[in-house]
Amino acid sequence: MSLLRYTLWRLAQAIPVLIGIVTITFFLANQIPGDPVEIMLGPTPAQEQVEAIRARYGLDRPIHVRYLTYLSGVATGDLGLSIYYDRPVLEMILLRLPVTLLLMLSAFAFAIVTAIPLGVLSAKRRNEPADHVSRIVSLIGVSTPSFWIGLVLIIVFAFHLGWFPARGLILPWADPADVRGAATRLEVIRQSAHHLFLPMISLGTLQMAQITRIERSSMVDSLQGEYVTLARAYGVPESTIVRKHAFQVAQLPVITIIGLGLSTALGGAVLTETVFEIQGMGRLIITAINNQDYELIMGTTLVFGFVYVIGVIITDVTYSYLDPRVTYGDD
Amino acid sequence: MSEPLLSVENLKTQFFTEDGTVRAVDGISFDVHEGEIVGLVGESGAGKSVATSSLLRLVESPGEIVGGEITFKGRTLFGLEEDASGELRPRDDMLSEEEMRREIRGREIAIIFQDPMESLNPVFTVGGQLREFIELNRDLSEKEAKREAIDMLREVGIPAPETRYDEYPHQFSGGMRQRVLIAMALACQPDLIIADEPTTALDVTVEGQILEMVKELQTKYDTSFIWVTHDMSVVAEICDRVNVMYLGEIIEHATVDDLFYDTKHPYTRALLDSMPRPDETVHELNPIEGVMPEAIDPPAGCRFHSRCPDAREVCREVHPEPRDLADEGEPTHRAACVKYDAFDVGYDESRPIEGDAAGGFGAGLTRTGGEE
Repeated sequence: MSLLRYTLWRLAQAIPVLIGIVTITFFLANQIPGDPVEIMLGPTPAQEQVEAIRARYGLDRPIHVRYLTYLSGVATGDLGLSIYYDRPVLEMILLRLPVTLLLMLSAFAFAIVTAIPLGVLSAKRRNEPADHVSRIVSLIGVSTPSFWIGLVLIIVFAFHLGWFPARGLILPWADPADVRGAATRLEVIRQSAHHLFLPMISLGTLQMAQITRIERSSMVDSLQGEYVTLARAYGVPESTIVRKHAFQVAQLPVITIIGLGLSTALGGAVLTETVFEIQGMGRLIITAINNQDYELIMGTTLVFGFVYVIGVIITDVTYSYLDPRVTYGDD
Repeated sequence: MSEPLLSVENLKTQFFTEDGTVRAVDGISFDVHEGEIVGLVGESGAGKSVATSSLLRLVESPGEIVGGEITFKGRTLFGLEEDASGELRPRDDMLSEEEMRREIRGREIAIIFQDPMESLNPVFTVGGQLREFIELNRDLSEKEAKREAIDMLREVGIPAPETRYDEYPHQFSGGMRQRVLIAMALACQPDLIIADEPTTALDVTVEGQILEMVKELQTKYDTSFIWVTHDMSVVAEICDRVNVMYLGEIIEHATVDDLFYDTKHPYTRALLDSMPRPDETVHELNPIEGVMPEAIDPPAGCRFHSRCPDAREVCREVHPEPRDLADEGEPTHRAACVKYDAFDVGYDESRPIEGDAAGGFGAGLTRTGGEE
């Protein structure tokens, strides 16, 4: 099987998983005590009003009918209507998802760009001062909650020093006309980066710390490999050995950690978005739950599940691309 | 005889561990001439592999070469001298680390490791690894190196080398991988190849085929070999001259015929006796009693005395350096055992050691008990 076919096959396998997510979320959401219509209309609504709203959102039909309707809706790309926002769920998600993705991708970019050199350096200089520093930094990183880092960053860099804004996020592709103080695209991007910096560090630190630790231990192992000794015995320069011979073998566990990190980062994004008052998926899902907005809860959960599944597939595909020993399951 | 290709004089490599200094290689001397296969034999832990990695100066921390001299084709791979204050420092003519890497490793001296499963990098193609080393050590272009790699794979008996070139190590069997490693060594066209137990991990039929092939290619390319092994039958098969190592020292050196038919050192004798033979049952096997003592605190006197059936009191006190015991006009045959007249330290008058070292497994372990 080729890599492309393998990827498509893995994507096809994701469909039952997603159906499972939809089903579980649907029934769980509907089991939450309370009534969205009540939240919407207050404690003493008129009976006709309630019935009209129920009919409008399809809440008057039996649960299995609603389930099947919802499932067929998902298949055609219709995620229903948000009760709280009174807008299609898909529209809300498309509005918020890019914000969260931007936050997550920048956090991971920050984590990978810092963690890999740090881990490699740590492994190369094992038990030397550079290694100790990097290990202490990553130990602190793994054991500090991201919202706390966010708060400290806000207090120090936004409040006291005033270097970065404390709240909000500007998308780099936003229309310059909508962004205050920005006349050109470049200005928008600059402002976007300015806003993104603190949340990125806040969300990325945990990933950075985890990746550093794995990178270090994996490189230590790989540098002790017999193939590294062989390369040395054949006169390969030390820099090439670290960069090529040891490095490529060492990346396999690192990729797994990055892939799994995607799911923890989603959780972290919810907190980071709350701390920095960013209108992303994380805050959307909290609003949905607080208001028992069934369709929105299901829609956002489905998206989180989807991102997670995609993360796993990317991990597997990258793994099989990097490690020739991984077969595509056909022999 | 002509100038040797490689000559090792009193080489000492030690490991500085928390438990103390491990004298892994403790003053060995040997040489290798052009076109010959020299064996380095001994039990596990005798220091064979440390000796070979010392030759390429690849000993890793906490290990360090602390003394001796290694000369290869007139160049000093290792050598120390005393400066004015009596401190040891590297001699001026000793090659720098960079020169070792560029001019010696791979290019002049190549190595084949014991474990073909671990020696090849699992994420690169076999051909790619071969090509990289050829490119590096023969200054060929990528294209020429690839052609050379494929030719060499064919030479070591790998079928369909053009296809196998693009395959990964896990797609090769153990024997095939070892052939790849041999191809790697030969393709760099070194003058000396160090083979560190290259057939130990293979089954005997494959081992036989590979030994055959190496002999053929050795004649064809006229490459010298240092063949490290613990297997006396491999020695008999392939070596011209043999050095037997015990606990960091070379205790006997002879041509392969002399070693087998005119064995001098009791340790060599014991090694030969412990070889399984088709005409004997397992019960008739005669293993060496005891275990090799730690190199961290080697026994005083002769290091083998704690396990030696011929040991006498004098063996505890006198530490013998190897001496030539060959008759006039015969090839050198050195051994380090005081029972020969050449040593003349009173072996004949000395009493056998109490509690007979050959008396059982425990004898080797309680060696400190009898010292007084």
